[in-house]
Amino acid sequence: MNSRCRCINCITPPHILKKLLENPDGKVRDAALRTLLTTASLRGERRIRSLMGFAAAPSGARRTIFDCNSTTTLPSATLARSEDGRPSSDQTANDAFDGLGKTRQFYKEVFDRDSLDGNGMRLNGYVHYGSAYNNAFWNGSEMIFGDGDGVLFTDFTKSLDVIAHELTHGVTEFSAGLEYHNQSGALNESISDVFGSLVKQWAGQQTAEQADWLIGAEVFTPGTSGDALRSMKAPGKAYNNPTLGRDPQPDNMSKYVNLPDTDDGDNGGVHINSGIPNRAFYLTAIGIGGFAWEAPGHIWYASLKASSAKTDFQEFADTTYLQAGQMYGQQSAEQQAVLAAWKEVGIRISGVRALAGTATRIKKQAALTMGNGRDQDQEIMRRIDELSSQLATLTQEVASLGGGRPH
Amino acid sequence: MNVDGMKVSYASHGGQAAGLFVQRPPVVVDAATLDPTRASELKSLVDAAIAAPSPAARSDKTRDEMSYTITVQDDGHETRLSQSDTTMSAEFRRLLDWLRHHPGS
Repeated sequence: MNSRCRCINCITPPHILKKLLENPDGKVRDAALRTLLTTASLRGERRIRSLMGFAAAPSGARRTIFDCNSTTTLPSATLARSEDGRPSSDQTANDAFDGLGKTRQFYKEVFDRDSLDGNGMRLNGYVHYGSAYNNAFWNGSEMIFGDGDGVLFTDFTKSLDVIAHELTHGVTEFSAGLEYHNQSGALNESISDVFGSLVKQWAGQQTAEQADWLIGAEVFTPGTSGDALRSMKAPGKAYNNPTLGRDPQPDNMSKYVNLPDTDDGDNGGVHINSGIPNRAFYLTAIGIGGFAWEAPGHIWYASLKASSAKTDFQEFADTTYLQAGQMYGQQSAEQQAVLAAWKEVGIRISGVRALAGTATRIKKQAALTMGNGRDQDQEIMRRIDELSSQLATLTQEVASLGGGRPH
Repeated sequence: MNVDGMKVSYASHGGQAAGLFVQRPPVVVDAATLDPTRASELKSLVDAAIAAPSPAARSDKTRDEMSYTITVQDDGHETRLSQSDTTMSAEFRRLLDWLRHHPGS
């Protein structure tokens, strides 16, 4: 691909490129797929470069935990534990400190990422926020943990996947910057659940089969009936009782919940519809087998970096498929697992659907023609050969665009 | 404002437990059911929350932050206040805390 062509490719909107993947002309499909692969990679790099200008100065990702003393005013919080300090007498402060450390170590060792911004960003956490506060959140630069009301929820620092979930919001902000509304917002939430769960699995050295795939199992009080806040393995089944109600997460696009993009609509259901990509990741991990932070995690991480603010489920699914092919080879077991996982949750990969549909139509037409006794075999065979040739070329070119095979 | 005719409701949104809140109806406190002292206390908190300056615009970078909607109904008038963890006024927070700790909430 020459430089002029690449320049034009960069400004081609992804939705047009996706449409071109369904074009009957194989050359057009071929060019569209190459463009998607190239721009996906560049997009991630460009996003990171653009963020470098205002990212925090390198600090070695030092951790500091502050105690809000049951207030909601962060500036008045007192120091509870620092990177060089001794453990606190407050277990909540120590749990937050350890959770930040495990998450930092996970990103460094698994993805060679230096803190949330990739540039050693300092990690600050605030514990004992407010009174009986049933939540933990990311305020755009720091983490805040509530103690829970002691009735439904307990201390939110008890859950490593919740801590890693919140910190991953920072990673997403510094990479794809997924907007917190509707599908891009649900994807943002899902990314946090995926990497939140992976941090827990990595810390416990659990395989995909051994992991519980639950988010926030530890924050429910013993008196609260329910497994967790969310289940990636079985969205919609994390809880079901009179006190909590029924887990509203869908596990398939056919059950997508359309909610208004308002506060009371959860910004278009960002915590609701995240169940769909959550399950796609779970199925991918089970399909590939072994440790989920290896191939599945790398595919999702590369796809996150290649995504943009408005990426929706379909675009992300397509990107994971392309990334899996780039990293592990076309038709590899990893790529097939990605394809099957998205199909299982009701999302078909765009290019594959078009190609598979074409091949199916040709086969049906050939059978029909033979049944009618018409002598068009040569024409049918010519078209099948042409399609096969295009597929082979496409496969070779995609493979040549890919780098080494990550672990 | 007639205290006896006042109803105040609140609902929580978002956060890690957003899935729970999205299907819950608002909690309603009917001032007519309160003793005079509590009813007067509630009215003062409501008046202060309504009179407080509008909070600063919410950051679009917060994630899993919770927000709250407090609706005051009084003699056919309805006032709706919606604020979040990081931007709510002190007056709104005091009213919210009162409502949260009210028996039955």
